Amino acid sequence: MTDYGHDLLFGTFLTPSAQGARQVIDLAVASDRAGLDLVTFQDHPYQPAFLDTWTLLTYVAARTERVHLSGNVLSLPLRPPAVLARAAASLDLLSGGRVDLGLGAGAFWDGVAAMGGRRLTPAQGVDALREAIVIMRDLWDTQTRGGVRHDGTYYQVVGAKRGPAPAHDIPIWVGAYKKRMLALTGEVGDGWLPTLEYLPDGVDTLPALNAQIDEAATSAGRSPRDVRRLLNVMNVRFSATGRGVLDGPVDQWVEQLASLALEHGESAFLIGGDDLPTIERFAAEVAPAVREAVARERQ
Amino acid sequence: MELALGVVLDASADAARTTELARQADAGGLDLVVLRGGPDTGLDPWTAAVWVAGVTDRIAIGTTGFAPPPAHETPYPSVVEKARESADLLTGRRLVDGEPWTTAPADADRAALETLAADGRTVVVPVSDAADVARLVALVGPAAGRRRTAAARALRRDGIDYDGVPASLAATAVEPGDPEYLAASSTYLRGGAPGLVLRPETPEQVADALEFARAHTHVPLGVRSGGHGISGRSTNDGGVVIDVGRMNRIEVLDASRRLVRIGPGATWKQVAAALDPYGWALGSGDYGGVGVGGLATAGGIGLLGRAHGLTIDRLRAVELVLADGTLVRASADEHPDLFWAVRGAGANFGVATAFEAEVYDVGEVGWAKLGLVSTDLEKSLLRFGEVATAAPRDTTVFLVTGRPQRGQSMIQLYAIVDSSDPQVVVERLQPFLDLGVLVQQEAFMARYKDIMGQAPDIGPEGHNGQGEPVSRSAFLPAITPRAAHDTAELLRSGRVYFYQLRTMGGAIADVPADETAFAHRTPAFQATAMGVDQADLDARWDRLAEHFDGLYLSFDTDRRPGRLHDAFPPGVLARLRDLKRRYDPDALFRDNFPIDPRTTL
Repeated sequence: MTDYGHDLLFGTFLTPSAQGARQVIDLAVASDRAGLDLVTFQDHPYQPAFLDTWTLLTYVAARTERVHLSGNVLSLPLRPPAVLARAAASLDLLSGGRVDLGLGAGAFWDGVAAMGGRRLTPAQGVDALREAIVIMRDLWDTQTRGGVRHDGTYYQVVGAKRGPAPAHDIPIWVGAYKKRMLALTGEVGDGWLPTLEYLPDGVDTLPALNAQIDEAATSAGRSPRDVRRLLNVMNVRFSATGRGVLDGPVDQWVEQLASLALEHGESAFLIGGDDLPTIERFAAEVAPAVREAVARERQ
Repeated sequence: MELALGVVLDASADAARTTELARQADAGGLDLVVLRGGPDTGLDPWTAAVWVAGVTDRIAIGTTGFAPPPAHETPYPSVVEKARESADLLTGRRLVDGEPWTTAPADADRAALETLAADGRTVVVPVSDAADVARLVALVGPAAGRRRTAAARALRRDGIDYDGVPASLAATAVEPGDPEYLAASSTYLRGGAPGLVLRPETPEQVADALEFARAHTHVPLGVRSGGHGISGRSTNDGGVVIDVGRMNRIEVLDASRRLVRIGPGATWKQVAAALDPYGWALGSGDYGGVGVGGLATAGGIGLLGRAHGLTIDRLRAVELVLADGTLVRASADEHPDLFWAVRGAGANFGVATAFEAEVYDVGEVGWAKLGLVSTDLEKSLLRFGEVATAAPRDTTVFLVTGRPQRGQSMIQLYAIVDSSDPQVVVERLQPFLDLGVLVQQEAFMARYKDIMGQAPDIGPEGHNGQGEPVSRSAFLPAITPRAAHDTAELLRSGRVYFYQLRTMGGAIADVPADETAFAHRTPAFQATAMGVDQADLDARWDRLAEHFDGLYLSFDTDRRPGRLHDAFPPGVLARLRDLKRRYDPDALFRDNFPIDPRTTL
C-alpha cells in the first residue's frame, strides 16, 4: 500500500502499424487534442508490419502540440545508446521538451539477430542496459567538461563530444519484469513501465515487484519516489457491465485507476486498443475523474 | 524559365526558428529545405529531417554538412533502411537522398539563380530569417504550373503528354516525381502507379481533364472520389486518374424540403456531420470514409437501407460532365434517361460533379456491434437470414465473418435501429443474440454522424492500399438451407478472409425495379466475399451461382464478360447500351463495369 505521490499521467499505447500509418497518426493527433499527456509506441524493428518507431515518434511529435512522446519501450539491442541519446535530445529540442524515453533490454533475440543485432542472454542484456543508461546520461550532460569515455563490456565510447543537451530532463523508464531488471530500475531508472497483461497475476503482482524496486532504490541511496510507476493496459474497453480491469463502465475505470494510484503507487496509465472513441472517452471522462478522486484522497 | 528554388537552414540555430522558416518556405511554394549541420551541430540529422517533414506539407527535405558518426554511433543498416521506408510512407517520399541541388550565394539575384538552375537542378540559397525566405518566395512568384526538377521529370511515364496538361489543372496535377505522389497513387484497397493525377475543382476543370483523357485513350483512365472503389479502378499503372476529391462542398439548398447539394469528393462522414445539426441524415454504406461520387452513382446499400432505401433513391438531380466535355444536369425533368442511368451505372456515363438529394429526419438511433462465436456456421447463417429479413424495417443488420478458426467462426454484426427509444432498440436486437455465443457487445444510442465518424479522416498521407483487391459480389433472394450450407463450405475452405451479408428489403424494395439502373430491388441480401486469388475465388463463387440473382457492381473485381449481365438484367443492359451509344460512343469511361457501345450482346 504505497502512493509515491507523483502527478498522474494518462496516455495511449498505440500500434505502429505500417499498413494503417494514417490511422496511427490520426490516433496520436486525437490523443493530443483530447488532452492526454502521453502518446507511446511499441518498438519491434524486426516486425515488418510495423513502422520504424523512432521515425514515427519524430513525425508524430512534429504534428502534435502538447503531448509527450515515448517508445514503449525502445529496443536497446537495435538502437546503440549514443545514437539514441543524440536522437532523443534532438527531438526533445525540436519538440520543446516533449520526449520521454521508455527503454527495454530487448526481447525476441531471433528478431534482433535477423536485423544484424547482437544476440545476448537476458543477464547480459541487463548489464548492457545499465551501461547504456550511463552513456546516454553522460552524453546529455553538457555541464561536465571533457568528452565522454566509456570502456564497457558491451559499449565502448572514446572521448565522444557531449550534447546536445535535451530541452528537459529526459526520464528513462525501464520495461522490467524479472528480478535483475527490477533491481536496475530501482537503482538507476526514472520509471518502471510494465504491461499489465504480462504480469503473472495482473494487478496482484504489483506489490511484490514494486517492493523489489523500492528496495533496490533504497539500497542505492535513492528514494522509491525517484522511480515513477507507469502501467500499460492493452485490452481495454468501455462496456455496460464490469468484467475486469478497464473493461466496464466509466465509473469502474475511475475506481480501478484511482485505486491503482492510491494503493499501488501507479501514476501513469497508458491504454492500448487503438480505438478512437475509447481514447476520447478515456481523456474526457476518465482522466479528470481519476485526478479528482486521487487528489481528494491525498489531501 | 522554370526555377526550382530551395533554402538552406542552419540546423544548429534554435529549433523553433528552423521550424518556422521551413514552414514559411513550404507555404511559399519553394521546393526544398536543406538542413545544414556544422561542427557544432549536435542535432541528429535523421531526426531533424523527419521533424521538418512533419511540420510541413509538401516541400522536399535534404541534409548536408553533418559529420559522419563515429563507429560507436553508427546505427544498424537494417534499422536505417527500415526508418527510410517508414519515412517515405509517412512523409510521401519527401526526404531527398544525396545532394541533388546546387548551392547559390546568399545574395544571388534572379539572373544568377537562373544561370545556376540551367541544368535543371534545384538551386538552394542559404537563409537566416523570414525576410530571406520571403525574398525567394517572391522570386519564384505565384505558381502558374508547378516547377519540377530534372530528377522529378525523369520519373514521368511514357505515353502521357505532360506538357499538354490543361492550364487550369497544371497547378494541382500530381506526377510520379512530386512529393504528394505517394499519397495520390494508392487507394484504400489498391496499390497503384498512375502516370498523372488530375485534381479538378470545378465542372469546367473536369471537362478540361476529360479533354486530356480523350487524347490519352492508349493508357488507362481512372475516376476517383474517395478512393474506396473495388470495381471502380480509381488508380492504375501508368495511366491518368481524375480525382474529384477537392469537389467536396456540402450545402443546404432548401431547408423546407430538406434538399441538399453534395460534391462528389465529400466523404460520407463529412456528409453525416454536415446534416446532423439539422437533425437530418442520408444513408450511405457502412463506412464513413467512403467518398460520395462512387457510391452515389452505384447504389448505396447501407445501414439505414431498410428504413430509408438506397442512397440513390434520395437523389433528385445529378450534375455530370459527359465524355465529350458537355456539362449536363440530369433529373426527373432534365435528361430523365440519363438520370435513370446514373443511378446504378453512373461510372459508364460521366464524371459526377454534384448530387442533389432530398434527405430525411433521423434523430438518435440505436447502434450496435455484436461479436458472436458460432460452432455451427451454417445454422448461424440460416438463422441470421430469418431474423434479419423478419426484422421491422427500422432495423438493418449487416453480418461479417471470415475464416473459421479451429471449427469456430467469429461473427460480427453491425446494426442500426432507426428508433430513439432504447427499449425498442433492445427489443429489435434481441433475436440476433442467439446466432452464437455472445462474446462482445457494444450498443448505445448514437447520432448517425457519430457512427460514420468512426472512420478516420483521409489526411495528407492519402491512402496506403497495396496490391489488388480480390472480391466477388452477389444478390441473394434468400438464405436457403442449401445456400447456408454452400456458404459455410466456402468459408471453411479458408480461401475467403472476409465475407459480408448486407441486409436489404424494407424501403429498398418499395422502389419499382425500372425506376433506376440499379434494378435488383427484391433480393434479401447482398453478399461480398474477399479472397487473395481472383481465379480461385471465381471458381469457388461460381459454384454458388444457383443461390444468386445478379451482383452489386461496386463490390466485384471479376472482369470476365459475364459479370456485366449479372450487374444488369437484360432489359436494363439493352437500355444502358443504347444510352452508352448516345452519351459515350467511344467508350471513354471504360474501367468500371464498362458497357461496350459497339456490341449488341
